Amino acid sequence: MIRLGLLTAAASLAAAPLLGQSLASRVDAVREGTIEMTFASRPDVCGDGRGSIWTTRGGGYNSYECVHGPVRVTIGRSDGQTVSIRSCVACRPRTDGATQFGDVPADEVARYLLTVAVGIGGTSADKAVSAAALADANVGAELAQLARNENATISSRKQALFWFGQSDAPTKDLIALDHDLTSETLRKQYVFVLSQRHDDAAVDKLIDVARHDPNTDVRKQAMFWLGQSHEPKALAFFRDILTR
Amino acid sequence: MRPFFFAFAATLAPLAMAPLGAQSLASRVVEHDGSVEVIFPSRPEACGDGRSFISHVFGNRNDFGDRPCVHGPARVEVTVMDGEVTRLRSFVGPVPPSANRTITASAADAGAWLTQVVNGASARVAQEAVVPLVLVDEFEPWDVLLRVSRDDARPLAVRRAALNWVGFDVNHHLGLDDASADSEDDEMRRQAVFVLSQRAKRDGTAELIDAARTSRHPSVRRDAIFWLSQVGEPTAVANLYADLLKSR
Repeated sequence: MIRLGLLTAAASLAAAPLLGQSLASRVDAVREGTIEMTFASRPDVCGDGRGSIWTTRGGGYNSYECVHGPVRVTIGRSDGQTVSIRSCVACRPRTDGATQFGDVPADEVARYLLTVAVGIGGTSADKAVSAAALADANVGAELAQLARNENATISSRKQALFWFGQSDAPTKDLIALDHDLTSETLRKQYVFVLSQRHDDAAVDKLIDVARHDPNTDVRKQAMFWLGQSHEPKALAFFRDILTR
Repeated sequence: MRPFFFAFAATLAPLAMAPLGAQSLASRVVEHDGSVEVIFPSRPEACGDGRSFISHVFGNRNDFGDRPCVHGPARVEVTVMDGEVTRLRSFVGPVPPSANRTITASAADAGAWLTQVVNGASARVAQEAVVPLVLVDEFEPWDVLLRVSRDDARPLAVRRAALNWVGFDVNHHLGLDDASADSEDDEMRRQAVFVLSQRAKRDGTAELIDAARTSRHPSVRRDAIFWLSQVGEPTAVANLYADLLKSR
């Protein structure tokens, strides 16, 4: 009876965050295996518990079984390195012996994931960025910073740019990113992200890119997205181009 | 007695409208179920390999790599089931040996028969008849195709197929076939035409019609004429094409 009580206490201690220990150092302490943690998601985020995630900001989900719930992140560790990141909303915990960190403050985990996204490759970087963006935390500045970060992979910078565009950050902050995005891939993503803003300033910026970007393909892409806009000034732009 | 009379009259009406050559060729084609090949003279510019591709319909040059493009008769491989044409496949060039039934037709008979198919067959077959109709030698299919384009009783796909070829003819007529777009500004203008063609609810059609009528940039005009055949309201585009065919 006493032994059982002691074991339970020890297990609780292992799961609880150690006072003053950062999330990064707790993750680093796990050299091999899988870590799982949960954190609060934004109010507009929901999932089907099987991996599909929706945000209702763009008009909502319809008939899907979409449940608001915490984001569950799984971090794969090998040889002291983070090798994979997966996320899920409203999912059940794993039962395969993953190290459970339990609930972690959304702000802390979002910032941590954006740091990890700089160095990790492939889809894990994308997952890290999107998981951070789903957190109930204000990470707009960090997303913009990652979008600008030339040491990060293009893929994670694209993701960061996308989620920055989806954030509450004002369009002028998105416009301010222009000169830091030099690769063609990023600039094409930039015009797409601008096109999703549907406001006057974003349309003006798209017209500016369509007219002046040094890369012809980026200009064409900007024109394509302008073509999808219902703003009269977009149509006026095309008239002008055709009559010059 | 009365139902019989009506049925008889209904059969007579379309026959009365079709020329005799078309009647006899049409009836010969559907005489037996299975495959039949109808061979007729093609436009002098048209060429192909007789088995897969067709090119140079208007004399403009498309590159098919090393494959020789040989002028020859047009060959339409027709599938007939239960006395009805269910499929047409068209070729130009050397006629390969075939075990199928073969009918050699004059250009006039082929033109009349294919006109009948374009005007009256089901959507798929009518669409497939547009290309061989355009290929018939010394035959002007444009009035037929413009009429079909304006006919809102015909399926939209048939009207578009007809418009598509009239659009090519308009560009040929205006000397725009090979209009080059060398400068970056040309490229942007062409993109603008494409983007306008992709706007929802034909929102860019007015600008495209304007470009097709008046643009001083040949490549813009050519592209606008082409894209209108794909996305514009068919009757309005047919009227535009008819105007452009009168001009130059």
